[in-house]
Amino acid sequence: MSKEEATVPDGTLASAPMPAGWDERLTQFLLTRSPLGGLVRWIAGLNASVHAKLLAGYFIVTLLFIGMGVMSLRTIAKMSSQGQLLDEAHERVHWSQAIQHALALQMNFTAMALLLRDEATVESILRENNRFNNTLARIEKAAQPEEVQLIQRIRAAQGEALTTVADIVNLVRDGKVDEAMQLQLTKEYPLYVQIEGLVNQLVERERAKMDDLRSSVAAANRNTLILMASSAAALIVLALLLGFVISWSFILPVQKAHGFLSQVAKGNFAATIDVPNRDEFGALADHMNHMSQELHRLYESQRRGSQELQRLNEQLQQASKAKSDFLANMSHELRTPMNTILGFMEMVLDEIYGEVPDHLKEPLTDIQTNGKHLLRLINDVLDLSKIEAGRMDLALAEYSVQDVVENVRTSLQSLALEKGLGFVAAAQDDIPLALGDGKRITQCLMNLVGNALKFTKHGRVAVRVDQQGDNLIYRVSDTGIGIPKSELDGIFAQFQQVDSAITREFTGTGLGLHITKKFVEMHGGEIWVESELGKGSTFFFSIPLRVTDGGAT
Amino acid sequence: MSSKTILYVEDNEFNLKMVRQLLARTSYRLIEATDGELGVATALAEVPDLILMDIQLPKLSGLDATRRLRADPKTAAVPIIVITSFALSGDDQKAKDAGASAYMAKPYSPRELLQTIRKFVPEN
Repeated sequence: MSKEEATVPDGTLASAPMPAGWDERLTQFLLTRSPLGGLVRWIAGLNASVHAKLLAGYFIVTLLFIGMGVMSLRTIAKMSSQGQLLDEAHERVHWSQAIQHALALQMNFTAMALLLRDEATVESILRENNRFNNTLARIEKAAQPEEVQLIQRIRAAQGEALTTVADIVNLVRDGKVDEAMQLQLTKEYPLYVQIEGLVNQLVERERAKMDDLRSSVAAANRNTLILMASSAAALIVLALLLGFVISWSFILPVQKAHGFLSQVAKGNFAATIDVPNRDEFGALADHMNHMSQELHRLYESQRRGSQELQRLNEQLQQASKAKSDFLANMSHELRTPMNTILGFMEMVLDEIYGEVPDHLKEPLTDIQTNGKHLLRLINDVLDLSKIEAGRMDLALAEYSVQDVVENVRTSLQSLALEKGLGFVAAAQDDIPLALGDGKRITQCLMNLVGNALKFTKHGRVAVRVDQQGDNLIYRVSDTGIGIPKSELDGIFAQFQQVDSAITREFTGTGLGLHITKKFVEMHGGEIWVESELGKGSTFFFSIPLRVTDGGAT
Repeated sequence: MSSKTILYVEDNEFNLKMVRQLLARTSYRLIEATDGELGVATALAEVPDLILMDIQLPKLSGLDATRRLRADPKTAAVPIIVITSFALSGDDQKAKDAGASAYMAKPYSPRELLQTIRKFVPEN
């Protein structure tokens, strides 16, 4: 992933992509389009620990709820005091009605006194008068100024009425009933009517006051309820906003860290994380940036190292190819004079130029033998250099396994005869035509048999080829010097002979087995050896009867 | 009967000398060419009984020269023995594909070369 994709232009990490749920969209809107975003950043930027911020948030919310509680208590107290006022007003209405009642009784007893002329009735008048006055005094104690005036007027009228009643009583006691009745009709009764009007006024007034109070209390209660409900709602909203702001001041850096770590996990070590927090999250972001830089540095140095290695590897491959090319060319250049040397030598020994004196025949034959050996070395080096340069191709064609074995047998039987070794080579009779590079398979078998003859002083060398399913098993066994167990693994490596003493005794390139192994593998087969030191060795190789193109590479 | 003519197209002086001396004791008549173009021109002019064609030649490769001679009606039927540079499987196939009647890997044995020549063109 490229650096541009991973970071926004100011070099900071784009926040992790949000799923498009409505709540996420709302959150995104609040964070980017409302002042809450600024508040979130402000809280993030506060130089305080996460612990302190959380504590402060809870403390603020707690304070708000305490304030709400205090307000509620005060409202309840106010409501209860208003109820008391209402009770008082109710009481005063009750008292003023009691005055009314007392007045009516007073009038009634006065009338009765006139009729009965009874002292007990006179006592009742006075009792009712006292009750009237006492109640009036109670009302006056809690009365408003304008009521005080009314009450004084009532009291004045009552005083006058009482004086009149006293007069009437005295007249009744003196037996002057007619005069008393006259006085009662002319003076006392109108006075009572006046007092009754005034008392009625008082009653109305108290009732009106009570009604006013009742409606104002109801309104006040309603207002209080509205105020309480709205402040509770405001408090909840405030607490939610506070929670939102504080939590997002923590969530944002976590989201950024998440995005950042995803980038790092994808191998984008150039990414940085930009967190405005000056709390634990800020410190964490600093650490992560440091980690990323360190990773980036390590990655870069590792990348440079691997580039350097690759460059060296390419150089090495080039050098190796140059070496192989050189060897291939050299081998070819060596071949032309070899052709002439061996050709002329053969013609000399064939006595094309005349009879060869006997004493020259042996040295000339030695020259020819060593010339041929030199040619074999050149051939091996050429094959190997071609294999190593990757330019060795198999020429796939049908070939007869019997021909291969026969070819090897005729080529090498004279050598076996010279050394006095038994030599048998045979293939299973019914092997069908095989598909592969017959020339290379012949070369492989020739190498193995050549080695066997070379390392065997007494006994026999046997070649056997069998078909096993789709595979051909070639087997070359000898009764030669054998190979120590420790050497078995390295036997197929190039330039490898069992030890240098043997190398001196049995000259060879040390390339034969390596080349044989390569050709067998190019046929999709494998080669192995079983050997016992001093008793002999058996080399096997197994190749498909019919090589497919895929197996030939 | 006139002797059979063999054209040897080869640029290496010692190889030429060797074949010259090999055929000197036979009845074959040897004509020589030292590059591919000269080889084609000589073959078309003389129409030999057999051509020995080296694979690596100046100016025109032995394979290309073989193809040209095969394409020309005058030499289409003349046996051509291609002498490959080295005994690699690929070279044999290339020689066959170019129209060679036979091929011999260098270094060849003069004795075998003479046997192969005699197989295609018996000596008189």
